[in-house]
Amino acid sequence: MNTVQIILVALFVYLGSIGSIVGNTIGWYALGRPLVASFIVGLITGDMQDAMIVGIPLQIMYMGNVTPGGAVAWDLSYATYIGTAGAIMFGRGAGATELIGLAVVFAGIGGLVGQLMWNVSYALNLPLNRIAKKYADEGDTKHMFVPNVVGGQLIGFICRFVPAMIVLTALSVGSSQADFANLIPSWLTTTLSVFGGMMASLGMGIILSFLVKKGWHYAVFLAGFILVTYFNLSTMAVAVVAIIVGVCYYNVVTKEA
Amino acid sequence: MAKKISEKTLKKSFFNWFFWNGCSQQAESMLGMAFGQSMAPVIEELYDTKEERAAALNRHITLFNTESQVGSICNGITCALEEANANGQCTPEVIESVKVALIGPTSAIGDSLWVATIIPILLTVCLSISEAAAGAAWAGALLYLVAYPSLTCLLSWKLFKLGYKSGLEGLQTMMASGKLDHLTDTLSLVGLIVTGALTASFVSCSLPIQITKTVVDYTGADLVETTAVLFNADNMLNGIFPKILPLGLTLLVYYLYSKKKWSPLKLMGLILVMALVLTGLGFATGVYA
Repeated sequence: MNTVQIILVALFVYLGSIGSIVGNTIGWYALGRPLVASFIVGLITGDMQDAMIVGIPLQIMYMGNVTPGGAVAWDLSYATYIGTAGAIMFGRGAGATELIGLAVVFAGIGGLVGQLMWNVSYALNLPLNRIAKKYADEGDTKHMFVPNVVGGQLIGFICRFVPAMIVLTALSVGSSQADFANLIPSWLTTTLSVFGGMMASLGMGIILSFLVKKGWHYAVFLAGFILVTYFNLSTMAVAVVAIIVGVCYYNVVTKEA
Repeated sequence: MAKKISEKTLKKSFFNWFFWNGCSQQAESMLGMAFGQSMAPVIEELYDTKEERAAALNRHITLFNTESQVGSICNGITCALEEANANGQCTPEVIESVKVALIGPTSAIGDSLWVATIIPILLTVCLSISEAAAGAAWAGALLYLVAYPSLTCLLSWKLFKLGYKSGLEGLQTMMASGKLDHLTDTLSLVGLIVTGALTASFVSCSLPIQITKTVVDYTGADLVETTAVLFNADNMLNGIFPKILPLGLTLLVYYLYSKKKWSPLKLMGLILVMALVLTGLGFATGVYA
């Protein structure tokens, strides 16, 4: 990737993280989702096809990434932008399996850096409370944005943009040293693809922990499962079936009540 | 004359919250500073003296936390309470205790209904569109990028207005009627079915063990040596129940995460170890060449 591309991706790492200037709804919950992130990386690098090949499995893997009670399970924005960009840079000319395997690895590295920077920003934000208190004591309603938006943004931007620039530049320099797609031994490719396929269970398992509330819910989960394995329906078809079941269920329970 | 918050100020308060609710999140006051910023325009309009404004601002920079998208109803309710307070119909103590009381239920609804159910369902639909639209895989991503923020912004604003108009009673009637519980249950069911389908489609896990035997074919003129697979563990398992291993793996992850409280990082480590062992087995028994 060239410098402009690196800057743009790093900028989106920041925009897609918690508390960026565009707000969590547009940022963390939209730009930060792997499906959208790989689309953006595809736009920036011009390699939309490869980006989307890794975007879908990454999205499944990190489907369970939500932020209950403010605890960040995994820094999604870092993980997916760097995962997708890394896969595109190192996997030029490689097949889909290799790309996905590479994306899983780079997403793991990105996620770790992101987790670290999140903790740093969480700590750096603390003194902002003193500034907020000072303005509040003066009854200064006009300056309440200073600690929250100006202070919070400045810290957030530095904690996301700068490390992302460093990681992406390192990846870019590293990937230009050799033709990595052809250097990766086949045993590594196999291992990565096995790992990638198994990693999808992480997202599903975590989502289940939010959804399963009663014993019979396991049966409902299994119903969705066998619609694919026995009936060969696509996920889109199952989504339609699920919505129909939901509409029926809602009508029955609200009538009874 | 009774004081009233203008529509313009309400919008300002809402958008202060919508865009910047997570900016200065930290362990001391969580979203407190963001909440204070959201209330600032309202306080400016309702109170005239420096002392009143200072007291009101200090009320709102203290600890506050919620799932901020559904939680905009808290901001609406607080606006209504501040308005009542400015007209002498409410006390600061009431405002403070109501805010604290709102943290629990709004976080619970927001996290379980919105973040853990609506987002995955919408993502799944968009994912499926991306999967189905060969050559236009970006379509699903673009749809999500446009649909999610606009729908959420609309809902968030409606909840804010609901909170402002009907105050605490609005939230109570909404929760007491049981409709919300039914809605949560319904969406959980939809989510469960969809998660089942995603598990079957995307999780892969196999037991790469096979026993082979070299057979010599005598039927032709020349003797031909071929390798026949006598036993393949994965085929056998899938013959009993298709994709039983991905299902088992997902349930194991669910069990460890939800019952044993393993962290995602620890789970990732476990999956990596299992992947290495399984790949090793595969190479050892000749499934992977």
